Amino acid sequence: MTSEEFSKLSVFVHDARKPLNRISMQAELVKMALNGDVAPEKAIAALDKIISSAKDCSHTLTEMTSDLGDNIAD
Amino acid sequence: MLTVLLVDDDAEFTEVACTIIEFLGHEVLTAGTLEEARDWLKKETFDHVLLDFMLPDGSGAHLFNELDALPKRPRVTLITGHPSVKSVIKGLCGPTVDYLVKPIQREEIEAVLSQKKKSKEPEEAKIEKHFDLLIGESPVMKDLYKLIARVSKTSANVMLLGESGVGKEVVAAAIHRASESEGPYIATNCGAFSKELIGSELFGHEKGAFTGAVGRKEGVFEQAEGGTLFLDEITEMPIDMQPNLLRVLENKVVLRVGGTKSIPVNCRVVSATNRTMEEIAQSKVLREDIYFRLAVFPITIPPLRERKEDIPLLAKTFIAEFNKDNGSIYRWEDSQLETLQAYDWPGNVRELRHFVHRAAIMSDPEKSEIELPKTIESPFAQKQSTTPALQAGRTIEDVEKELIYATLEKVNGNKTTAAEMLGISTKTLYNRLHAYGDLSKDE
Repeated sequence: MTSEEFSKLSVFVHDARKPLNRISMQAELVKMALNGDVAPEKAIAALDKIISSAKDCSHTLTEMTSDLGDNIAD
Repeated sequence: MLTVLLVDDDAEFTEVACTIIEFLGHEVLTAGTLEEARDWLKKETFDHVLLDFMLPDGSGAHLFNELDALPKRPRVTLITGHPSVKSVIKGLCGPTVDYLVKPIQREEIEAVLSQKKKSKEPEEAKIEKHFDLLIGESPVMKDLYKLIARVSKTSANVMLLGESGVGKEVVAAAIHRASESEGPYIATNCGAFSKELIGSELFGHEKGAFTGAVGRKEGVFEQAEGGTLFLDEITEMPIDMQPNLLRVLENKVVLRVGGTKSIPVNCRVVSATNRTMEEIAQSKVLREDIYFRLAVFPITIPPLRERKEDIPLLAKTFIAEFNKDNGSIYRWEDSQLETLQAYDWPGNVRELRHFVHRAAIMSDPEKSEIELPKTIESPFAQKQSTTPALQAGRTIEDVEKELIYATLEKVNGNKTTAAEMLGISTKTLYNRLHAYGDLSKDE
């Protein structure tokens, strides 16, 4: 792997981490809602955001494989 | 309470983190860039700064000089997404700076803000409250829930029978809740009023009806319009007041004391007594006609000793309530719950609750252990149960005495039969009774 490829990979990893962080934070919020610490509506909103972050993350990973795959083909 | 500045460029992350930090009891402000963070630092003083390492306009480390220049330097925790950055940060900022690695958990935020690293124990499974009120998963309680659910859908009057402390008022409230009626739930205790006042309490009075009746008063029947009226200790109601109650139950109208106008009433009456049905029938504390009006649907609430498997659930709930009110962290040991389960609880759930609270008050508030008294005693225990569970700490003499008296009671005082049952000679029995001072010399 060239250093150029590695920095490209790092960018993808960084982008994939971002939704994972969000998911983990939103999950904490859902836990709090189930405990009755915050309003239950917040849990629904948080779960929607979790789903959309999961999609984001999946999207980034797809992009990464196709991008890096292109390089191999070259 | 701390004032916290959270610097991170991911708005969704900061929003949730803020909710959590606020829930932990702190005030929190947010910045998305170094620029914004600098602005806040000029305007406010902070106790703690949570700082993302990578920001759009530079590294969070750039803020360090400014923070050092502040009159009161806040504590700093760096947030990073890369575990490898940890060592870089350590080299850069020295060992005094905390860091959090994303993804962050709530406990980690809690730990850096409180400067304590305590690993939280997993939360206990929630104990279900049936009808939001009743605790217990034993077969007898499940039967009770079924009865409550059935009767609540009708408008039938319910009579609750059960020993003192089994939770008759809680069951009454559960029936009201399950009925989803629009009216209120009104509870009153028929044993708490003098003969003169009970009429006014139940049916209300008009102004000037008697000395001291300075205004008009609605009785509980009127107050419970469209809802549920709970009459506790119904058997303590003076017998000569009962015809008045009967009239209200039959005609569904009340006449206020001193009033002339009949007022229509419409409520379910849930009554309760700690006497058994046989006792009610024999002792004539309740007129027969009233009984049949009130006990359209009688429900007997089981005593705690008949649902011992529920004791741990109840004990856990009571200690959780106590913890919530007092900010303590008490937890039961399994062996302690077994001890509680072994006891008969003649005072039922009420006695258990008071016992748990007393034990919690006696325990060290800094620790999570609960100190149980060596023995569980109640002044009512002997009266209520003739065969209490054997318990360590009692003397043989004590238990022997109780056994002798229990046997004598069973055989109506016939000492020859009692001695036979006990497997001792009549002479020995007499000697024992003499020793207890229970027999005169010549007997």
